[in-house]
Amino acid sequence: MNQKVFAPWDDPNQKPLIQFQNVTKKFGTFTAIDDLSLDIYEREFFALLGPSGCGKTTMMRMLAGFETPTSGTIRLSGQDLGQTAPNKRAVNMMFQSYALFPHLSVWENIAFGLKRESKDKDAIAARVEEMLRLTRLGKFAKRKPHQISGGQRQRVALARSLAKSPKLLLLDEPLGALDKKLREETQFELMDIQEKTGTTFVIVTHDQEEAMTVASRVAVMDEGRLVQVATPADIYEAPNSVYVADFIGDVNIIEGNATPDGDRVRIDWAEGQPAIWGTAQKPVASGERISFAIRPEKVTISKEKPEDRRNLLEGEVIDIAYLGNISTFHVKVGNGQIIKAQSANTRRLANRDITWEDRVWLTFTETAGVLLEG
Amino acid sequence: MRRFTLIAVPYLWLLALFLVPFLIVLKISLSDYALSIPPYAPTLDFSAGWQGIKDLLSKLDFENYVFLTEDALYWKAYLSSLKIALISTVLTLLVGYPIAYGMARAAPEWRPTLLMLVILPFWTSFLIRVYAWMGILASEGVLYQFLSFLGIVDEPLKILSTNTAVYIGIVYTYLPFMILPIYAALEKMDDSLIEAAEDLGCSRMSAFWLITIPLSKSGIIAGCFLVFIPTIGEFVIPSLLGGSDTLMIGKVLWEEFFSNRDWPVASAVAIILLLILVIPIVLFQRNQQLQREAEG
Amino acid sequence: MRRFSWFNATSLTLGFAFLYLPMVILVIYSFNASKLVTVWAGFSTKWYGELLQNEDFLDAAWVTIRVAFFSSVLATVLGTMAATVLVRAGRFMGRGLFSGMIYAPLVMPEVITGLSLLLLFIGIGLDRGVFTIVLAHTTFAMCYVSVVVSSRLVSFDKSLEEAALDLGCTPFQAFRLVTLPIIAPAVISGWLLAFTLSLDDLVIASFTTGPSATTLPIKIFSAVRLGVSPEINALSTIMISVVTVGVITASILSKRSAVAQQRDEQAAAQATG
Repeated sequence: MNQKVFAPWDDPNQKPLIQFQNVTKKFGTFTAIDDLSLDIYEREFFALLGPSGCGKTTMMRMLAGFETPTSGTIRLSGQDLGQTAPNKRAVNMMFQSYALFPHLSVWENIAFGLKRESKDKDAIAARVEEMLRLTRLGKFAKRKPHQISGGQRQRVALARSLAKSPKLLLLDEPLGALDKKLREETQFELMDIQEKTGTTFVIVTHDQEEAMTVASRVAVMDEGRLVQVATPADIYEAPNSVYVADFIGDVNIIEGNATPDGDRVRIDWAEGQPAIWGTAQKPVASGERISFAIRPEKVTISKEKPEDRRNLLEGEVIDIAYLGNISTFHVKVGNGQIIKAQSANTRRLANRDITWEDRVWLTFTETAGVLLEG
Repeated sequence: MRRFTLIAVPYLWLLALFLVPFLIVLKISLSDYALSIPPYAPTLDFSAGWQGIKDLLSKLDFENYVFLTEDALYWKAYLSSLKIALISTVLTLLVGYPIAYGMARAAPEWRPTLLMLVILPFWTSFLIRVYAWMGILASEGVLYQFLSFLGIVDEPLKILSTNTAVYIGIVYTYLPFMILPIYAALEKMDDSLIEAAEDLGCSRMSAFWLITIPLSKSGIIAGCFLVFIPTIGEFVIPSLLGGSDTLMIGKVLWEEFFSNRDWPVASAVAIILLLILVIPIVLFQRNQQLQREAEG
Repeated sequence: MRRFSWFNATSLTLGFAFLYLPMVILVIYSFNASKLVTVWAGFSTKWYGELLQNEDFLDAAWVTIRVAFFSSVLATVLGTMAATVLVRAGRFMGRGLFSGMIYAPLVMPEVITGLSLLLLFIGIGLDRGVFTIVLAHTTFAMCYVSVVVSSRLVSFDKSLEEAALDLGCTPFQAFRLVTLPIIAPAVISGWLLAFTLSLDDLVIASFTTGPSATTLPIKIFSAVRLGVSPEINALSTIMISVVTVGVITASILSKRSAVAQQRDEQAAAQATG
């Protein structure tokens, strides 16, 4: 077994830290979580990703103990959490609003949970100092929450929830209140702290970029179900459904009828247009309706017709989105569908030759896209 | 010009009907009692001009204030007013806090109705609300009938015309003043703070003491002052519900003025009462100021 | 997720029972045939009949309403002016004294306000009666009005007024055409407050009135000083009913307009979306 790659979920000997077993949660007639099973392992940085209302926050609140499942069990280190009250769980939570106690100083906020354990004063002080160092908050120990910046508040919330060394730390949209630049810095800081403390993190977010950056595994959720649980690379490169492909990053979806041919599949997607060739991940029936998903950066755009390409589409440039490092071209192909193609801007703007209304050729390899049902 | 009128009209009104009367009280409190109309001396003689004012000033003295310190009735009345105000403030807090807390925890769609129910008694006559208790607390009143029906008491109650009745009356009439600021403080409190406290190991009880109470502190303080300040000078409640031994300074002042017709002493009583009130009023203002700064 | 516990439910039930039971009992006993509180002698409306024949009470009620009307109107005008001065006039000579005089009457014991005004009226030789009570009530009620109105003015979006000025209004027109309509609800509740305060006042009216004018609270006070009276029970019931009906109507009306506004906004959102 390769010890360098952290992948406990592939190792059948590993015991999961958290187990959701057929968990269902209903609020009245509304089903927030629908018969969901999931294992999360120790030292993982696990992201629950989905649009608002998909049930990700309910999952987290059940872990923290603020909600109890309607049916099914949740285990922590093999033990059923059952009705265990939030204050009796070795689980701590970092709230979306941070929930810093406004009447207590930064120091007192961090010490709050430790004091509940009736540890002696020196031990508490030592632990608080340690947390202050970890989150670089030493200078602000005496300030009240309203006297520090948003980024600092975020770190206080993190320090406070980590102070009790929980087995599991829950983070509810931890970076949602920060601006983009600060958010990116903080993502790396979070990963760094997670690694240093060795705590298992479960993060809830609706920001796919954030989930991809920080997580060891991502669970994409929709309407109370898990759609796909996989590493960020797998989620991106091998989405298991149109929903996941569309939710994570930018994608072109081309629908058509499949005809298997060896390990390749021919897709007839529009009359009078050349067929597309893809690679099947699993057997496809002849004549099955299928979606071909391909990321824009895997589509090459050129003005001259390339030779010897099986996947070749001709179209007209409708729009160009210039993003600095890359440009995205919106190309209208024969049947009127818009296909997006991306190219890195390795040259200065003036030297590039494709512009609006140009006739262009789009190509991609037979393994660049994925075939999805429906 | 319009700005000048805008300022001048309310300004002059308040000068003439608030400040000047107050200065008159101050002046009379330094005058002597006289068997004349008006029943005090000296009076200001405008015809004498500047000399008249000088004469007036030279005749003023602190005799009435000295009298107040010598007669035990007065300082006992001040102390007793403070004591009654203090006890009833604490009682009102004990009754009001659970109500405000319950309101803040009620479902959001219920809160406007509950709020209206708390405010509604404000609009009904204060006098009637105090009077309602006379029939209840009377020796063979409604409360007695109810308790004797249950077999708890067998002889007429002795509540009306005692300080107990005064406490009940004050708690009853001033309860909304206590509930409203506490409710306002509790209502805007973020629920996730309580969840965070529980997440960090607090029981529900300790989360209440460590988070809810400290965060409603400003509301508690405001409510206490709103009850304490007006209660000190209260007149209607002690005169309707209290007994002959209920000593409150508002009642003393009223009797000094209407029964004894000793205007200078009544004025001195009023001035001292105001001086006593200045301390809690200043503290109250400071609390409100701090709260505004904390919120701003 | 707020957890509404048994403790919360119990304290609300007991609390509102405490607030409302005394008044309910008062209303019930106003229909008691017996003159004694202690004995229930069957249902009767005779005390209402006696009340309506009692000239003194009717006179007192008329005096009270006149006083409340004039003083509340005056207090609303003066209080709104004072609020505008407090919030908008910026710096002027004696601003500190002015705001002090607005806030002081709110915490001044009524006995002192009453005493001081009486001494003033005697000092300048004014005949005491309805007129002096109106002056007294206006003075303390205007302070309440100005507090209500100024709290609304503080949150008023000044750019609305600036827009009016930009579109060619004079400052006075801008106030009359833009500010006043928007703060009108606060002015109206200020007026209502002033009206009720005047209706309610016993202490200040007792000091500032003369033999010619007796208000209802003065009349009630002298009647109940000696004990419970069934006529007063009947009178109280009428007053409680008027207030309850008024407040409930007002809250239904304001709720309705809020609902209507919400519906309009939703319709507008759907139309554009």
